[in-house]
Amino acid sequence: MSHHYLQFKNVYFSYPNSNEILHDISFKINHGEHVALLGLNGSGKSTILLHTNGLLMPESGEVVVGDVPVTQKTLRLIRQTVGMVFQNSDDMLFMPSIKEDVAFGPRNMNLPDSEIERRVGFYLEAVGLKGMADRPAFSLSGGQRRAAAIASVLAMEPSVMVLDEPSANLDARARRQLMGIIDDFPHIILLATHDEEMAVTLCKRAILVHEGKIVFDGPTQIAIDHLHKLV
Amino acid sequence: MRKLEKTLLEVNSLASGTDSNLSALSILIVTLLYIGFMLSVPLYAPQKVILFAIYPVVQSEMSGLGYGKVFLKSLWVLPLILFIGIFNPFLDREVAFSIAGINISRGWVSFLSLTLRGLFAVQAAYILARTAGFFDMCHSLRHLGCPKILIVQLQFTFRYICVIVEEAMWMDRARAARGFGRKNYPLSMWGRFVGQLLIRSYDRATAIHRVMLARGFNGSIPAARSHKMNRASIIFMIIWSALFVALRLFNFESVFSGTFQPH
Amino acid sequence: MHMADALISTPVALVAGVGAASLLVVASRKVSKIKRADILPLMGVMGAFVFAAQMINFSIPGTGSSGHIIGGILLAALLGPWAAFLTLASVIIIQCLIFADGGLMALGCNLINMGVMTTMVAYPLVYRPIAKATTIRWRIMLASVLACIVGLEAGALAVTFETELSGVTQLPYVTFLSFMLPIHLLIGLCEGVASGLVLCFIASYRPAMLASVNTEYKDSEQEDKKSKSTKWILAILSAVALIFAVSFSWLASSDPDGLEWSIEKITGNAELAPAVAPPTAIIPDYDSTFSGVIGGLIVVALIWGICIILFRSKKSVRSNKN
Repeated sequence: MSHHYLQFKNVYFSYPNSNEILHDISFKINHGEHVALLGLNGSGKSTILLHTNGLLMPESGEVVVGDVPVTQKTLRLIRQTVGMVFQNSDDMLFMPSIKEDVAFGPRNMNLPDSEIERRVGFYLEAVGLKGMADRPAFSLSGGQRRAAAIASVLAMEPSVMVLDEPSANLDARARRQLMGIIDDFPHIILLATHDEEMAVTLCKRAILVHEGKIVFDGPTQIAIDHLHKLV
Repeated sequence: MRKLEKTLLEVNSLASGTDSNLSALSILIVTLLYIGFMLSVPLYAPQKVILFAIYPVVQSEMSGLGYGKVFLKSLWVLPLILFIGIFNPFLDREVAFSIAGINISRGWVSFLSLTLRGLFAVQAAYILARTAGFFDMCHSLRHLGCPKILIVQLQFTFRYICVIVEEAMWMDRARAARGFGRKNYPLSMWGRFVGQLLIRSYDRATAIHRVMLARGFNGSIPAARSHKMNRASIIFMIIWSALFVALRLFNFESVFSGTFQPH
Repeated sequence: MHMADALISTPVALVAGVGAASLLVVASRKVSKIKRADILPLMGVMGAFVFAAQMINFSIPGTGSSGHIIGGILLAALLGPWAAFLTLASVIIIQCLIFADGGLMALGCNLINMGVMTTMVAYPLVYRPIAKATTIRWRIMLASVLACIVGLEAGALAVTFETELSGVTQLPYVTFLSFMLPIHLLIGLCEGVASGLVLCFIASYRPAMLASVNTEYKDSEQEDKKSKSTKWILAILSAVALIFAVSFSWLASSDPDGLEWSIEKITGNAELAPAVAPPTAIIPDYDSTFSGVIGGLIVVALIWGICIILFRSKKSVRSNKN
């Protein structure tokens, strides 16, 4: 586990009917590093995130996760290694109850029932949803739904966690709790966000994307200063 | 649009059942048996149908719903019965009996019977919906041999009713805020409104699929656990089924014959 | 269009239920073979969409009243017949189980009347041949209007058939049809125009959403043709019709009331009746009908009273403890 890293090597990508592109994206994130991905709307942040676990494949270049390149053949392994928290929690909680949602990933990994049960209990407690396992998603608050969505990814015990705009639409308390969960994650975090304070608090390093290119890669505070100049 | 908001609240309350003692499967089976036996009573025997009221009355009180509320909720079925059944009194005028000089025709007897059947069937279904809980019912349908893909489809649809209805509600509010001031949509506007809702729903499906893939989805959704039948449920089923059979086979109502003389 | 439980007899409900269930099983198998990877979430969300769309009313021009769609043709045009049937079925089942809308026993009838007639009869026979794999607006509109009319008329025909067969109405078949068909022609016209508008909107903004245009579907639909799955539908539907016909005669003989009634109509008196009626029959004794209804009401009221005393007081004791 400790040798895991996430690397983009000269990745190019474009959508068929859109001018949104990725242009020569290269970076490497080492084990244990928490990195923020900054940029304006439409700069290509989400597109980069979708490349990390093969939901999109680069047109040229390569994405590598811990010595394993992302290809059609390695998808199964990659998706167990890279956990992805999407922007909309409602999309992430599609099963009848929170418990089933958290169990969905581990079940797809064909883990034994006892292990699935352990993970469901453990990670629901970790995100503060103990005792709500049997509730359906729509009976939870926005913050609780986000927490449940993160638990559903944590339960796969990924060594890379990728988050897209996790603090959107959260109140102050839910946001603080969320930051605690992210901060406790011992492995790689790639966090795309507009929440500058959160980026500074959680990540020492930040990658700034603009119009599909990386324009800065370094200390978060400096990246934010650059971002302000782009506005 | 108040209808949308009402649905949201209703769906929220119906996801999980209220009756924790009985398994959803047992309530479902008893309800099916009840309606089946009741509908098999001949149309000209309302005196037999009326005894079938025992189930909705007792079951709604036992589960704490209250029969008054259940009765009111079942009244929506009356117009439908009226539409089909109202012709019977006019077409079948043969006198069945007379009370205080007024002749009652066979048509009215069958109409009464039809109305009772309609009310009781809806009441039983309503009690089922309120006490069993939707997701538990899905599990019991799986028990009864429903294809898995249909169960997954039911759960998916139920899960996203709230999300899509909420989306429709916001779109509708945005429209209302800009003050067209009318309750319903003119057809052309309706087409665009629903078309937009459809595209949004479609995109949401794509997003969900993406999430599923990211969590290792490989084409089939893992089966969910099944509910065990407890002793209370088995006793519940035996008692009621026995009563339904008895009500159908024996003429309890003949006890009263001659007691209330209509003449 | 929703049938209520009261309007059908148990045998009719059972036959229709078995027919609908077997079609659901076939549809489930067909859908699991569709190559589209996102078919599961797509069907699920589309089911929810139909729910929402049914709640948004449009005003019917020139009448001052309003209507809503059922959505069968719309779904079929987006998902293809099998997936559309399964999706619409889930909507009808949820309406029945959750909102107690339409009856549990009538579920099979409702699935056939509303689901099968639109997605599996009107769509392949009317919509597909007219709309073809194009996005031409007039074609889509025409196809949608005609298909909706055919689907609803077929449904109305089925409703009439099931009601008459159940023997709950004295209305002659022809009279009943002359009520149902014109009404459903109007409803079909409205539904057709409404669905057509939505489909035209989709055709101009997202043509790939249409099943006839989407290539991933074309493959599976062509395979469908190869495996001649329409034969499946025809086989099941004709089996249902056959069982209906057989059970009709059986029903007539097992239901002394109905038989006596028809004998009376034919011979003009009921003298023949006692010979066929079982000894326990209470038919001639109509006094007991009245006594029975009153007596039954009193018994039920008594039981209700006992229940209220038993269960409500128990509840209040329980809540006092808490």
